[in-house]
Amino acid sequence: MAEIVCGSRDTREINAEIKQAIAAGDRDIVVKDPGARHNLGVAVLAPVRIRFAGSVGYYCAGLSDGPHIEIDESAGWGLAESMLSGEIVVRGSAGNGAAAAIRGGTVVIYGDAAARLGVSMKGGTVLVAGNCGYMAAFMGQKGTLVVCGNAGDAFADSMYETVCFVGGRVGGLGTDAVVESPSQEDAAWLDATLAQYLPKANKRGQDFKKIVAGRKLWNFDKREWKVWQEAL
Amino acid sequence: MCGIVGFFAKDGGQAEIGRTILGMLRALGCRGPDSAGVALYGAPDDGRFVVRVKLGDDGDLGSRAHQISSRLESFSGVSHFSTIGAYARFLVGGETDLKRLTEAIESLDKDFEVVSMGHRLEIVKQTGSPDNLEKTYCVSRMKGTHGIGHTRLSTESRVDLSHSQPFWSHGSPDLAIVHNGHITNYHQLRRRYEQHGVRFYTENDSEVVAIYLAEQISKGASLHEALECMLRDLDGSYSCLAATERELGFVKDTFALKPLVMTETDEFVAVATEEIAIRSALPGQYSVREAQVREVRVWQK
Amino acid sequence: MRSGDGEINTPAQSDGHAANGDLLQSSGTFKPAVIEDIQAKAASGLYRIRGWGTLRERRWATFDDLTFLPCSLTRIPLEGYREKCSTKTVLGTRFAKKPIELDIPVMITGMSWGALSYNAKVALARGARTAGSSNTTGDGGMLMAERENSRTLVYEVLPSRYGINIHHMRMADAIELTIGQGAKPGTGGLLLGSKVSDVIARQRDLPIGVDQRSPARHPDFLGPDDMIIKVQELREATDWQVPIFIKMGASRVFDDVKLAAKAGADVIVVDGMEGGTGASPAILQEHTGIPTLAAVCEARAALEDCGLYGEVQLIIAGGLRDGVDAAKAIALGADAVYIGTAALIGLNCNRALYVEDYHALGTEPHHCHHCHTGRCPVGITTQDPELMKRLDIDEGAERVANLLRAMTLEIQMLARACGKSDVHHLEPEDMAALSMEASMICGIPLAGTRKVFGR
Repeated sequence: MAEIVCGSRDTREINAEIKQAIAAGDRDIVVKDPGARHNLGVAVLAPVRIRFAGSVGYYCAGLSDGPHIEIDESAGWGLAESMLSGEIVVRGSAGNGAAAAIRGGTVVIYGDAAARLGVSMKGGTVLVAGNCGYMAAFMGQKGTLVVCGNAGDAFADSMYETVCFVGGRVGGLGTDAVVESPSQEDAAWLDATLAQYLPKANKRGQDFKKIVAGRKLWNFDKREWKVWQEAL
Repeated sequence: MCGIVGFFAKDGGQAEIGRTILGMLRALGCRGPDSAGVALYGAPDDGRFVVRVKLGDDGDLGSRAHQISSRLESFSGVSHFSTIGAYARFLVGGETDLKRLTEAIESLDKDFEVVSMGHRLEIVKQTGSPDNLEKTYCVSRMKGTHGIGHTRLSTESRVDLSHSQPFWSHGSPDLAIVHNGHITNYHQLRRRYEQHGVRFYTENDSEVVAIYLAEQISKGASLHEALECMLRDLDGSYSCLAATERELGFVKDTFALKPLVMTETDEFVAVATEEIAIRSALPGQYSVREAQVREVRVWQK
Repeated sequence: MRSGDGEINTPAQSDGHAANGDLLQSSGTFKPAVIEDIQAKAASGLYRIRGWGTLRERRWATFDDLTFLPCSLTRIPLEGYREKCSTKTVLGTRFAKKPIELDIPVMITGMSWGALSYNAKVALARGARTAGSSNTTGDGGMLMAERENSRTLVYEVLPSRYGINIHHMRMADAIELTIGQGAKPGTGGLLLGSKVSDVIARQRDLPIGVDQRSPARHPDFLGPDDMIIKVQELREATDWQVPIFIKMGASRVFDDVKLAAKAGADVIVVDGMEGGTGASPAILQEHTGIPTLAAVCEARAALEDCGLYGEVQLIIAGGLRDGVDAAKAIALGADAVYIGTAALIGLNCNRALYVEDYHALGTEPHHCHHCHTGRCPVGITTQDPELMKRLDIDEGAERVANLLRAMTLEIQMLARACGKSDVHHLEPEDMAALSMEASMICGIPLAGTRKVFGR
């Protein structure tokens, strides 16, 4: 196991040391005192385990493909943005745009997520044990987003095919978002996934609300005035 | 666009607010290389007012300071006149007609500006980095209860002392704000205020936040209510901190467009644009979270 | 859905008279095109969508308002052909370890695979390579064939992030962080359902056949202060090797360029109002953004104001038509120019081939801007495999290379006439203005006077 101490160094040096460790064959890396620096662990393209023993700033684990990254405290904006594959776990809360534009992989947040969780997501799975803020899953294209707690306002606005599940209350539905009941397959998948990633969540799959797109914004000629007024 | 910070010590009145806020600002340096400023609330001084006046951006500041001190002779209760950097600082009695005092000073020279006035508020700001600010003014030595700070990345208006933040709400003792974002109905609001005789000192849209909050409070709103009203009346992007003699508060805009994180312990409250600012200035175990959309919080002494 | 373009062909009247002999008088306010537009909206309840850029006839200062002042007695011209006039162009010297080096200062701008066909994208790449220049990906991500066929490839990171792929980014020679484009600054992309084919949908992670509307904002940064951090992320992701461009549609150019420079861009791209697009609401194409001439002047002034002119390179785009426009842009301060619409026209766009298919779209060659329909008669802006076959890749590549070379020769000719052995030595002082507005905007004397107006 490799241990990297940030000290007073900047992100560029720290990331360089992480890459050196990976190149040297280390598969298990701990980074101490990250101090909420930005851009830590960006573009990690190997199936290694990295633990940030503290808080991280913006874009931690952004543009990654394959790693397992854990963050002990909180994360800033754009956690795991544009990730292709991997597992990213935050024990604290995450700032705006967590899991923005991810195309695969799994993002797990033990605390709360701020605004625009999973914005533009194109695949993958997002799991939040706590609550999420404003406009989660905005323009979600594919993938699955699960919030065990409450969802904020404008939830699942203007989505394509992302499927959302909320265990608590939905503060407000976004444009073209519709609520359904989860199917048996949905419930089974939720149970299995929560058991794997959020065993303490204490929620049953069948108790979640399912939110998907009503598809009224998908084509201009099928538009309904009321819906389009909001959506441009 | 910028970095903003706020710190509120829950106990006593001798916390190292200057050092803490400076430390937070240093960590945000890359967001705003154009200017840095702090609004600190020090120990109260038996009801008197602290006044800070900008002498100018260059030129013979010594003789300018002299102009002011001479003019002040016609006011009673003036004491502790000093000049540091680009500022003159002095105290006046609690019963002083502040409006008359301000007019008396500002009419002497078009560059003079009363930058802050209050029982406890002192604003120190200048172009350049937080380190520059410290070098000129030794901000880190100041003690008190709470304060806010700002580093600036100029977007549409000028880079000079007056256009820097924090902004004091001219005419409202002790009320100061910092703002990250852009008020998109600024011009409309400004025209309306100017029609009612309000003077603007800059073309910086953040200034209207100070004016707006002062207006709401003068109509009887609490700081909390005033910050909530902002969500209705001010359009655009903002994470804003506002402070009064005893309060620190924040508001986040309707679309959560600008970052703002906070932490609260038994000892203090810290708010900042980025967590790195809080972590680098305040050691210890605590968790930090992002403020939610349209969230308003106010802490009081 | 109705496709409309805001323009109709007025019925041919040989002498402006009605059938009964009365004189025809149309309103200057409610012109035939305006009448058509209002009636179309009354039928559909939706804004108009079409391709290209601004079509409406108005008056604004363009590159045509400038003329070159070649050498005569006061300066010595260079001979064509023999006395060299260098066109080598280097971009990204500010921070990148590997700036890009091009043989010519004319580059192919980002155009999406989706808006464009596969054959078009590959032909552009090959043509640029042959001419010693670069190609750019576009909204929707990179085609492997683009990377394989490009000598220098710029990878665009757009608000939509369709097809975003770190591995592709690391294969690129530069990263272009796109805030917006000239045709429609402040808004996102648009690809209508007929072009969201199976393969495009898969690339973009979308359902087949949706009328795709891209977000206007990036999902993970929302201001220049956050953008500073984003630029650093892109550097971390590419090991600080390649230049980072920041591209913007021309709006508040002076402020925006300063911010982009402060945010750490190696190269700034400003895309003017006349720029084109595959599909957009027409009002955005017509009524947003400032003209390219104004944009290049504001951009240069902004870089001079923050002391970075010469350190940060400037690429200008937005309806550039030929080497003359490019030369004028370079003289005004650009280090290079992007072409988009011109490159497609070189590829056969609006050429009189398959004319009956132009008619089927309600247009004629030389008048077509119907990219949004996906029924491009010459196989450029379509996803229909049958239509795409009409664009032969090698022939197309040759035409693109020819156009780039012809434009380069034009730039060299003008530069030599002005006594320059390097096209990048062209200066504003090599030109005169032909209108007051151009004089004011460019800070160049009005021909016939020795005065700069309005400064």
